[in-house]
Amino acid sequence: MIYAGIDIGSITAKAALIEDNRLLATHTVFTGYNPAAAGRQVFDELLMQTGISAGAVKKVVATGYGRASVEFAHKTLTEIICHGAGAHFLNTGVRGVIDVGGQDSKAILLDAQGHVENFAMNDKCAAGTGRFLEVMAQALQIPLDQMGEISLGAENPVKISSICTVFAESEVISMIARQKDRRDIAAGIHRSAALRVASLAGKIHLAPPVVMTGGVAKNKGMLQALEDYLGYGIKVGAVPQENGAVGAAVLAAGT
Amino acid sequence: MKELAPMKELMPFYQAVDNPAALGRSITHKKVIGTLCSYAPEELIYAAGFHPMRLFASKKEIHLAHNHLQTYCCSVVRGVLEDSLSGHLDFLHGAVFPHTCDSMQRLSDIWRLKGRYPFFADVILPAKMNTPSANAYMAAVLTRFKTDLEADAGITITQQALADAVHLYNRIRSTLSSIYAHKSKYPASLTNRDIHALVKGSMLMDRQQAADLLDKVVRRLASADPAADHARTWGTKRLILSGSVCDMPALYDLFQDTGAAVVGDDLCTGSRWFEGLTDEDDEPIAAITRRYARRMVCPAKHQGLHTRAAHLVEKAQSLKADGVVFVLLKFCDPHAFDYPYIKAFLDDAGIRSLVLELDDSQDSLGQLATRIETFIHMI
Repeated sequence: MIYAGIDIGSITAKAALIEDNRLLATHTVFTGYNPAAAGRQVFDELLMQTGISAGAVKKVVATGYGRASVEFAHKTLTEIICHGAGAHFLNTGVRGVIDVGGQDSKAILLDAQGHVENFAMNDKCAAGTGRFLEVMAQALQIPLDQMGEISLGAENPVKISSICTVFAESEVISMIARQKDRRDIAAGIHRSAALRVASLAGKIHLAPPVVMTGGVAKNKGMLQALEDYLGYGIKVGAVPQENGAVGAAVLAAGT
Repeated sequence: MKELAPMKELMPFYQAVDNPAALGRSITHKKVIGTLCSYAPEELIYAAGFHPMRLFASKKEIHLAHNHLQTYCCSVVRGVLEDSLSGHLDFLHGAVFPHTCDSMQRLSDIWRLKGRYPFFADVILPAKMNTPSANAYMAAVLTRFKTDLEADAGITITQQALADAVHLYNRIRSTLSSIYAHKSKYPASLTNRDIHALVKGSMLMDRQQAADLLDKVVRRLASADPAADHARTWGTKRLILSGSVCDMPALYDLFQDTGAAVVGDDLCTGSRWFEGLTDEDDEPIAAITRRYARRMVCPAKHQGLHTRAAHLVEKAQSLKADGVVFVLLKFCDPHAFDYPYIKAFLDDAGIRSLVLELDDSQDSLGQLATRIETFIHMI
């Protein structure tokens, strides 16, 4: 039996297929302005890549902020529930998830069965999200996917005092004007974002073993800053960005 | 569990809620006095021949109020000031401000200094409501307010008029309580939004009309087949809301859409307004004072170190609630200050809770839906 999960995030749309408790494949596209079309596209492309026909997929669960727009889904569930299920499926024994996506960051506490026991989510504000890092990478004129690596070479990370993304950006620009080391600024940016996320984790008393999911988990600088604040190691799986879609597929199989 | 159109008995309440200003303008046989909180002694206003009308923010874009209040004042206080400054509330004869939170006091100051309306009153409530000295003080405050109303209206409020007002308000309170109890027993008999419309509508419309219409709702509910209602309650999660002003019908819909019924609340725009009756056998001022002394306090008042938490736990247990949702207005210090200890009490009692910090004019509901759906799934 094959099951699919579709996760429509604010920046990317992800799809995952599982068969007999085994992850088959995942795929990611940009969401763009039409979440419904992105859901269709990411699913069709994944089927094409794997050579699986749509008819062979028994059930589809949609998640993410655009979950309601996936017309071919049999059910919708929130990304918090799906990230919990995905993390539990991919990492046996995990009890906590930190998911940092494009516009949301969340800390999720799981019970031994992978069910959500408690959660905390950022307010409608970009601080501590992927969008924050994107804006800062632009200000620093470095590619987003290299910002993490670059920040690892910092010796004296700067302190960003503004929580607001807009104010933080002008703070960064003034640091650039003062010719601060780019690595130190990048590390400061990660520390600033990590602090917001760490406070979410603290709110619900997250404790290891914890995995990080969402697109931002691929940023090593952010991961290190988070580990520093939390005081324990955080695991990142092979498909952090697609973790929510995997969880949706797992829950499709379970319903 | 989306419902069809509300039952016809509810339509006047929906119409009132839909456009309170239009309703205010349509009341021409009485002068309208705005109230801002459930501590406003409405029986006195009513007995003086005025129409007491609760003021809610109309949720128009705020720009005039920014000149007077910081953005960290709650959306209700800023919104009501905006409505006043923009002329949206020009049907008012005046307003009364009970002494509660700081933002409300500042709104009162600005309101008074602007002097747009003929009548203005501060009702300086005691901080503690339930001590003997507070009772004596409160009775004096109410008597003074009565005198202010009499001077403005050019009449003397008779004991009979006051007793009649107390009786009418008791009717409204007891019918609202019984309707809420019915909703708790048969959660599918009314939608969550119906409850919001019934309570808010009763705070807006002519009180005699509200009392008569509420009676009709009670009769209609009593005539419905409880077995059919009961059958439709399967799978429903039971929620209690806690906070101050909750004037977001869309939020009630979000709970409904995720299969959760609001079966009770501890809200200023809910149970705190209608819970507890005033003794009709006693002298009215003394009886009104006693009702306030017995009534559950809001966090701007003091009753005991743990009174609010114990009350909420007791309410959640007696209503067999699956969870409590704190609907806190953004920047509302008094409620935010009480939240951690109340949550700890709920945790100790094994009652799950979710906190939502809201701006009551907020219309992006995506994140809220994610939180609510997850919470309902979790409980």
